[in-house]
Formats: sequence, structure tokens, C-alpha cells
Amino acid sequence: MKRRDFLKGCMACGAAATLGVSQKAWGIGSFEGYPEGMGVLVDLTRCVGCRSCEAACNKEQQLPAPDAPFDDKSVFEEKRRPTEKAYTVVNRYETGKEGGPVFRKVQCNHCNEPACLTSCFVNAYTKTKEGAVIYNSKVCVGCRNCMIACPFNVPGYSYSSALNPVVKKCIFCYDTRLKYGKPPACVEICPQQVLTFGHRNDLLKIGRDRIREKPERYVDHIYGEKEVGGTSWLYLAGVDFDKVGFDTTMGNEPIISNVKDFLGIVPMVLTIWPALFTGFHLLATKNKNHEDGHSEQEDSKP
Amino acid sequence: MNRYIAKGVKTVDSHYKVPGKSKWNLQEKLLLGLSPKQYLIQALRNPFNWLLAVIFAVGLPLIAIRFIFGLASVTHSSYDYPWGLFLCFGLFAMVPLSSSGFMLGTTVEIFGRHDFEPIERLALLNGLLGYLFAVVYLLVDLGQPWRLPYPMVVAYGPAAVLFLVGWHVATYLSVQVCEVSVAFFEWIGFPVGKQGVRKITLGLTVSGIILSTLHQGALGALFNYAPNKVHPLWYSSAFQWLHFFVSSIPGGLCMVIVVSTIVMKTMSWRCDDNFRNNLDKLTIGLAKGASMGLITYLAIKLMGVAHDNKWEYIATGWGAWYIFEMGIGVILPLFLFAWAIRRRQLGVIRFGALLTVFGVVLNRLNTAMITFNWKLAEREIPTWQEVIISVTLFSIYIVVWRFILYRLPILYTWKTADERATTPARGYVTGGDQVPSMAGSYRSRMEDGIIRPARQWP
Amino acid sequence: MYAVRTWLIGGLFMLALFTSPADSSAKTTPDTLELDVLVNLYDKVKFNHAKHIMLVKDCADCHHHTAGTLAQNPNCVRCHKNSGATASVACRSCHIAQPFSAAALREKSRTAYHNDIPGLKGAYHQACSGCHQKMGGPTGCEDCHKRNKKGDAFFSAGAYAPPQSHGEKKHGGH
Repeated sequence: MKRRDFLKGCMACGAAATLGVSQKAWGIGSFEGYPEGMGVLVDLTRCVGCRSCEAACNKEQQLPAPDAPFDDKSVFEEKRRPTEKAYTVVNRYETGKEGGPVFRKVQCNHCNEPACLTSCFVNAYTKTKEGAVIYNSKVCVGCRNCMIACPFNVPGYSYSSALNPVVKKCIFCYDTRLKYGKPPACVEICPQQVLTFGHRNDLLKIGRDRIREKPERYVDHIYGEKEVGGTSWLYLAGVDFDKVGFDTTMGNEPIISNVKDFLGIVPMVLTIWPALFTGFHLLATKNKNHEDGHSEQEDSKP
Repeated sequence: MNRYIAKGVKTVDSHYKVPGKSKWNLQEKLLLGLSPKQYLIQALRNPFNWLLAVIFAVGLPLIAIRFIFGLASVTHSSYDYPWGLFLCFGLFAMVPLSSSGFMLGTTVEIFGRHDFEPIERLALLNGLLGYLFAVVYLLVDLGQPWRLPYPMVVAYGPAAVLFLVGWHVATYLSVQVCEVSVAFFEWIGFPVGKQGVRKITLGLTVSGIILSTLHQGALGALFNYAPNKVHPLWYSSAFQWLHFFVSSIPGGLCMVIVVSTIVMKTMSWRCDDNFRNNLDKLTIGLAKGASMGLITYLAIKLMGVAHDNKWEYIATGWGAWYIFEMGIGVILPLFLFAWAIRRRQLGVIRFGALLTVFGVVLNRLNTAMITFNWKLAEREIPTWQEVIISVTLFSIYIVVWRFILYRLPILYTWKTADERATTPARGYVTGGDQVPSMAGSYRSRMEDGIIRPARQWP
Repeated sequence: MYAVRTWLIGGLFMLALFTSPADSSAKTTPDTLELDVLVNLYDKVKFNHAKHIMLVKDCADCHHHTAGTLAQNPNCVRCHKNSGATASVACRSCHIAQPFSAAALREKSRTAYHNDIPGLKGAYHQACSGCHQKMGGPTGCEDCHKRNKKGDAFFSAGAYAPPQSHGEKKHGGH
């Protein structure tokens, strides 16, 4: 093989390999949300487990009829998670503290740097400037990497559909409400005003004020302020968060921080490997009459 | 097939049925030089085919059900365990075992070790089929498999590791198809195609190394998205991708050993002397490479545990499982290889290779499925339908393997028109079949005028 | 003689008039109230005000200082040390029905204080059910307001309840 042809081949293949794999320059994970981003402060000391939020979500998002009525309290006997038919669920936790059980509403937390968004290879997720993390079912291939990535185990998937299975999760009522500045259905219906809707930055202030004015009522922590880079749905509680089903081991780095190092190595390998291995080749095949065509030395080793 | 050969049936190993006179036509080539009736008889006589028939009878309808009724009909429809056996076995386990393509390609083309050529094509085919069927498993697992080209042409999410995996696997499949196409072009008699590919082989091989490094690593990096979900002993925040990449090296090499063993046992009629005579020596060579890969892997796994200071997990139940996986998949093969390479005990080497393959598969299953969601109370066991479909797809993989090996010049050398015992020409010679070849030449590469027979190793 | 008697009766009458207390809440406060501002999924609430006056005694427990009793909470006293009765003591005069409308949010961010007061629905429920839980009053949703037909449909309950499927746990998830 002539050297020129080899180099041509190498270039062609190297170029083909680098095509399309462009890496956006990501800053350090310190995105604190869009300035006008909305959020919801969930005050678990107020929730009584009436499940009105579940009913409101079901109606607003036109979800299928539930397995049990929404005033059925027996569902609290097991811990539930969001599914393709229920974007939000309420769980009950017996903490032994006086005042009765603690109820916790679970739904998509609309993270500032969502793991689902960063893991999607067709860019199906978008973090809107209003703060919602929404999903485009028209491009979704169904790889379910977002379900693997979500640290809160939120997205559900409509496995039962043969022709159009898609991810199902809370979208902050973006299409019907948030886009127009209105609060989501669950916030509007909550009788105890467990859910306070507002700008995320204002909610952080409100949360801190509540803790400051009633320190005996609240644990001094707003869950979601910093966890996995910060979320739009923030929680206050009267007991330790890990006792009411929250994962407190997650750290403050957004999930993408875990893969950034590897992604940074990719262009390095793409650039270094060709030279490295071509070098190996030239070194290893010297004097071996490989395909130069002009070295006439016979190998004299036995 | 052996019975027919004993009766004097000639196998297809060149273009000419009778040298200089009549050529094999395509049908004859496809039917291995047998008449249709003979072919059918030998197929029906083969007990392995009976097993395949049973598997297909159960499995193919299940696959149809999966596509007609959706994934819910064959899986648990789990939200917490979205990736089931199709991906965890079919993709995550089969891909590292298919790294043999770039490994042997590099050995022969980059490092110039042409003594490995007899097994190079087998390794390339192993790589191609492994990746091809990983994609098949993926298509069965995806919610909307018809949208698989979307990350290429419709919507891009370049920050996602899976984006990289998709692009690289697609590109790498093309590279591997090119590399195996040499054998194909020989078989159907298309010398122009063969020469064209030979010209870019070096570039293809380098691309193969680049792509393989990255996507083997990327499959590991996928689990960096779920740091809290994979058990700490199987998860390394800094080195996950390296663990996957390095373990793919012994995985691929040992898979070649395993496949070549199976091939020698079940279709030795197809292997020519070149392959047969060199296999033992090459097996030892591969085992040496695998040993180096294994010891490196063991070291970096321990480093991974040390880096995040996870030693206390070893004392748990999961820790015992970790020790089992490392013990049977890494440490035991290391000892077996060390002992057997010295003494040229091929049987022990082959057993060690089998254990290594098992270890790699177990590692992927552990990372992706068994220790996944280790903090949740419920473990999820795949449905019986998933198991049967996975077995069926694997059987189709074996059938395709067999189909190609029976026909293409992978295990044997394609003989050309004039077989004359001349010294090889020097320099680059164009032209295909008309080039005079050496009797007993290693490969068709010799016929291209690529000089020098491989060195004889002690 | 008659002139003196007329003046005496008139004077006594005027005396009675002016010495009766000006803020006789017992007279101008309603005994029962129908809370129907938020009627949608439930019927209106029939609120027995007189009973609550008897049980609670201190107006400020529900009406804060707006009913005239001086504030006790040190946090409130900072500003409301001398705050007397307000023009209206109805809950809805401060707690608005739509606390999260765009207008309300705009208003909220500008206010320096009292930016975390619940809306009307939240105020009713937090005030009422909080106390009821402590004192043993009604705490269930339907104890105070029955669900109407629309509510039944909304909650998939009553006549709209899904058919019972016993023992069928969905596989998947935890």
C-alpha cells in the first residue's frame, strides 16, 4: 500500500469518526435556574393526605381513570411512585412524632440541570425559562436512559402501547397553565396550601423565613435548594428528610457532572489515537517490508 | 457434513468446481457444494438444529407478540428497572465480547503481527456479528425502534453519552462490515471491491481502535448517570469507563478462544490446515494477551475501590458476590492461564477463557441489572418471556455465525485459479485472482503481493 | 306637668341609647354563615359562628387582631401593638381567592411583609382544621362540606368510582 493511500484512508476514517460528535462547551454545574424560573414550595407540615392534588393532576393532564378513587386512603398502605397513569402521588410516613403521620407529595422536581435532559440522545427534554422540564414525545426513541438517570425515579413509561410508547411525567402543567403564568392544577386545588407557587428565588426566601419564624416546626433545610444542582420543587418538613422517603445521599452536583469528565476525554481520544497508533504501526513494522515496497531486506532471524 | 466429505463430496474453497473448467454458481456456493436434497438431509440430521427448531418455535412467536402488543406483553413494564435482559445481556454483555474485531485488527495491521492472521478473520467476524446482534437486541428493547436513526438525522442530544454510543456503534459497524467484506468479496469473486478495501485497511483499523475505545468506555459511562443506583463496588465515579474498556480486552480475546474451540469441535471440516495447525499456538498467544488484560483489570478495579474508599462494602453480602465475580472471572482465569501457558495445556487455557467470558458477562449483568437499584427493597427478576426471547435472539446469532462460517473464507483460505509454488512477488501488485499464489499460502493477502510469510514462532 | 314627663321619658330613652355599648358584637355578628365563595367541587359550608364564639371566646384566635383584641404574638406585636379593629373582619378581605394568579404574584413580590399569607382556601383550612385536630372537631373533608356531583366525578369516587379490582397489584415500580 502506498503511504499516500494509507494517509488518505486514515484521514477519511478519522474525519468520518469525528463527524457529528460535537461537544457543547459546558460550564461548571452552577446553573441556578433561569431568573424568571418558577417553582413550588411544598410544606410537608401542612399536608393532610387528602389526595386532591392527585385528582387535579389526573383531570388536568387527562390521565386514565385511576385504579381506586382519589379519596381512598387505603392506597397509603404501600409506598407508591409516579407512573404512566399518575404523574403525582402522595405517600404516608409514620414517623412516631406527635401530630400524626407525615404525608409527602412526589412528582417531577423540575431540576435546574435535569439528569433526564442531559442523558437524552435526541434532546427530547427542555428546561423552559419558566422552570418546567418538558418532554417532546415526537422524537423519543424509547431508550429509557432518562429513567435510569433520574435520581428521583420519576419518569414513567407507557410500555403497554405498541405503536407509541412514550415517557410520562409531570410537566408542571406547562402546556395548559405555566406557559400563561398560571399555577399548576395541584397547587390550585390544595386546600391546605401545602404548595406555594412563585419564583424560585422568592420561594427560597419564603422557605427560610418560615424556618426562621417557627424553628420548632421545621427542620432547618430546604430540600431541593442544592440537591443535584438544585430543583424547582422545594420541600420543607418537620422531620428529617430521610425519614419521609427523600434520598439525602445525593450530593449537590448535578448528574451531568459525573459524565463530564468522560465526555471531555472523547475528543482527546479522537485526536490522539490516530497519531498514537499510526506511530505504533510505523515503529512496529519497520524493516518488515510491510507495504512500503522499497525495502528489500530479508528477515534473517530464525 | 463429515459424512459427505468422506463420500467424496468436494467442499467449496475456490471459484472452480473443477480447476480450470467449471465454476461454482451462487446456489452451489450457498448450499456448500451439495445438492438441495443433500443439504436438507444434512440439516435435518443435525441434532443441534432440532434444538434450534424448538427454541424458534417458542421464541419467534414471542418476538412477534412483543412487537404487536408492546413491551408490556413480555416484560415487567418496570419504571424502576427500565433496562431488562435484552439490553443488559444482549447489549452490555455482548459488546465487550465483540471487541475481538479491533483487537486482532490492531495486532495484525498496526503491530504487524501477521502470525495471527489465521485467526484474524474469525475475530473480525466475531466482532461484526456481536455488534450487529447487540443492535438487534436493542431494536427489540427500544420503545420505538423505527426511530433508531433519529439521533443521527432528526434530533441531536450531543451531551448525552448514548449519543456517542449510537454514532460510534453505527460507524464501527460500517468499519467492521468493510473489514469482513474482504472475505465476502473473495467468496463472490469481486476482486475490485477487495482491492478497494485493502487500500484503506490501515485507516479502517485505526478508526476501529478509536471507536472501540470510546464506545466500550461509553457503555460504562452510561452508569455514571446513576451513581446512587449502582452498588458502590461496581460503580466508580472516576473510572467506570476505564473498567468497561479494559475488561473488554480479555473479554474479546477469550471470546475468540471460546469460539475457535467450538468451531474446531463442530465444524472442523471447514477449517483448513492453516487454521488447524496454527490454532493452538495462536490460542496461547491470545491467552497471553488476555492475561495481561486481566491483571490490569484486577488492578484498576481495586484502585477504583480504593479511590472512593469503599473497602467496607466488601464485608457485606454484596461484597461476597463481588469477590465471587472477581474470583471466578478474573483471578481464577489468571492462575489457570499462568499455569497452562507455560505448560501448553490448551484444554486448561480454553477453560480459563470460558471463565473469563463468563466473568465479563457477569460483570455487565451485575452493573446493569443485578446490583442496580441496590437500595430499593425489591429486586426484579426478568420475565420468562424476556429470557426466552434473549435465548432465541442468541440462537439466531449462532445460526448466522454458522451460515457465514460454512461459506465465507474465514476458517479456510480461498484458493485461486493457478496454484503454483513460486516465491512471493515483492512490492504491491494489483489484480486479483490471476496473481500467482504460493501453495499452502497463508492468506489471500499473499496473493495481493503483500510479502513475507509470517514468522514461525517456537 | 305633661311637659316634664315627656322630657323625663325622652331623657331616659336617650340615656339608654347612649350608654349601650357601641360595638355590641353579639348583636351585629351573624350566628351562621354560608361560605360559598369557593364552591366548585363541594357544597357550600354551613358555618355555625355562634357556636364557635361560645367555644373559642377570643375573637383573635380566628380573626387575628382585626376583631379588636390586641395582638399577643411577639412577631405581630412589632408592628401591630396598637392595631384595633379593621373595617372588615371577614377572612376574604385579606386572604384572596386566587393567591397565585399572575397579578397576585406581581403584587406579592413588591410587598415587604405578609408575603407568605395563604389564599382564602388555605386560610380556611389551616385555621379551621388545625384547631379541629387539637380540639376534636370535624377533620374529614366531607365533615364540613359534602362533595357534589362534579366533585364525585373529579375524585373518581362515589358514583364515578372505578370498578373494584381486588388483589390486582400492578407489576413494576416499587
